[in-house]
Amino acid sequence: MSPMTELEANPHSLTQDARPLVLQAKGIVKRYGQVTALDGADFELRAGEIMAVIGDNGAGKSSLIKALSGAIEPDSGEILLDGQAVQFKSPIDARRAGIETVYQDLAVAPAMTIAENLFLGREIRRDNLLGHWFGALDKKRMLKDSIAYMQELKIGIRSMSQAVETLSGGQRQGVAVARAAAFARHVVIMDEPTAALGVKEGNMVLELIRNVRDRGLPVVLISHNMPHVFEIADRIHVARLGRRAAILNPKAITMSDAVAVMTGAMKPEDIPAHWLAN
Amino acid sequence: MPSWKEQLPSIGSLGPFMALLIACGFFSFQSEQFLTGANFSLILQQVMVVGLIAIGQTLIILTAGIDLSCGMVMALGGVVMTKVAQDYGLHPVIAIGIGFAVTAGFGLINGLLVTRVKLPSFIVTLGTMNIAFALTQLYSQSQTITDLPAGMTLLGNTFSLGQTQIAYGTVLMLAMYALSWLWLRDTASGRHIYAVGNNPEATRLTGIPTHRVLLMVYVLAGLCYGIAALLSVSRTGVGDPNAGQTENLDAITAVVLGGTSLFGGRGIIIGSLIGAMIVGVFRNGLTLMGVSSVYQILITGILVILAVATDQLSRKGGR
Repeated sequence: MSPMTELEANPHSLTQDARPLVLQAKGIVKRYGQVTALDGADFELRAGEIMAVIGDNGAGKSSLIKALSGAIEPDSGEILLDGQAVQFKSPIDARRAGIETVYQDLAVAPAMTIAENLFLGREIRRDNLLGHWFGALDKKRMLKDSIAYMQELKIGIRSMSQAVETLSGGQRQGVAVARAAAFARHVVIMDEPTAALGVKEGNMVLELIRNVRDRGLPVVLISHNMPHVFEIADRIHVARLGRRAAILNPKAITMSDAVAVMTGAMKPEDIPAHWLAN
Repeated sequence: MPSWKEQLPSIGSLGPFMALLIACGFFSFQSEQFLTGANFSLILQQVMVVGLIAIGQTLIILTAGIDLSCGMVMALGGVVMTKVAQDYGLHPVIAIGIGFAVTAGFGLINGLLVTRVKLPSFIVTLGTMNIAFALTQLYSQSQTITDLPAGMTLLGNTFSLGQTQIAYGTVLMLAMYALSWLWLRDTASGRHIYAVGNNPEATRLTGIPTHRVLLMVYVLAGLCYGIAALLSVSRTGVGDPNAGQTENLDAITAVVLGGTSLFGGRGIIIGSLIGAMIVGVFRNGLTLMGVSSVYQILITGILVILAVATDQLSRKGGR
């Protein structure tokens, strides 16, 4: 038995952190033919935290995230959202349940404006006959709301009516993150949000992720970038061999400690208790 | 608030309009008859069929598809609506409705093959183009349908505006452009068409039913070809099994000349009207100059390649 399952079996561990569990996965299994991608993986996310997910290629990191965001259906195991069991048949199901995912490949419509991208699929209609009968858009209100919202997240973009393709990579990622944060009711999942960005732009997006958490939304952050993970994560979920190896406390360990757990150089049962986050 | 500079149309979107002005300027020097009200009324009447097909074609190209069957489906619609009126003595309104149902049905088939079977629109419509052509010839036995009830050709009638005769069909075409422009610009369903053309996967993940959007676009396009068929019948006074052959490529040419990107997601539908006018002005002007129709086809071909090349280069330049 791994230390984490012992921790979960111990009710005292829950009292140590009073923040409620928003998203939970228990014993998720996913097989692709002969290959077992997830072999009984667990996951938890508490209110108001940034949970980083790290792991080597093939550790089951991306399969876990796909299961949480509805992109794949697990063969067995359960996913709980606010304590309620949920089943996602598609990313749209997850979205309806309040889980927004920012995909790595910049999920924006490049030729459309920032305001249009922020409201895509959730446009505000005019509150009059034209709006009710013909679906006429309230463009002024959407523009106004976009400006207020982007200011709140401290994203410094001058005009909301410019096409997204005129923005830098970091700004585009900012639009995708802002979009997700605006509509997520429970959780935002971000898949490698800083991967394609330079240092300055990467830091801008990290700051944005912090702003999203401080507004009360818990964030699941998948990243290969250890410095970024240690800079903003509250806890670190380490995926290994299709399961969870540990939840680490980034304040108590160094990056090489995390890498040791990730690669298996440090066996889960040998991990010192003070490395673990509760 | 956007600054006044951002609210101005970009140079790129003014390109088609400038091209139209230059073409008009050139032809008015070449022929005295060109710049007259009567001639422009004629151009508009010649343009109305291509213009209406181009509305449907624009919708499809905005979703990053293409419809090669447009002209042939229009010809089938024209033959069906005239032949059922003649064979069964149906009321013109019912006959026209049957014609619309046939063209919209072809749109539905195109749309289902693109969304359900996931075939490229190019291949699907290459197939339905030939099917529609064959059905047109079979059903009409390659005979022109004449002696139509007066109700079927009402839209070909004209009214006077000052010295100029204007066809009702022209007014219908302009109204359809205004409506579709407002729809595409100001409504959620209109913007979703652009979103599908821009990034279909991202659009699907926002919860927009992208397949339903595509299906709607193909059916509406089919309906536009039906209306174009009615205009063609009204203008010529016959159901012509050989109609639509020049219109097929002229409509695609009009959309591309009007600045809508063949890569999808970019363009303004009014541009297609200007594109159709450019095609019409070239055909009319070259005819007035006495240039053989073979050269007109040659020049249209060069125009298309120029327009697509401009689109490609401007997209690269914008990056």
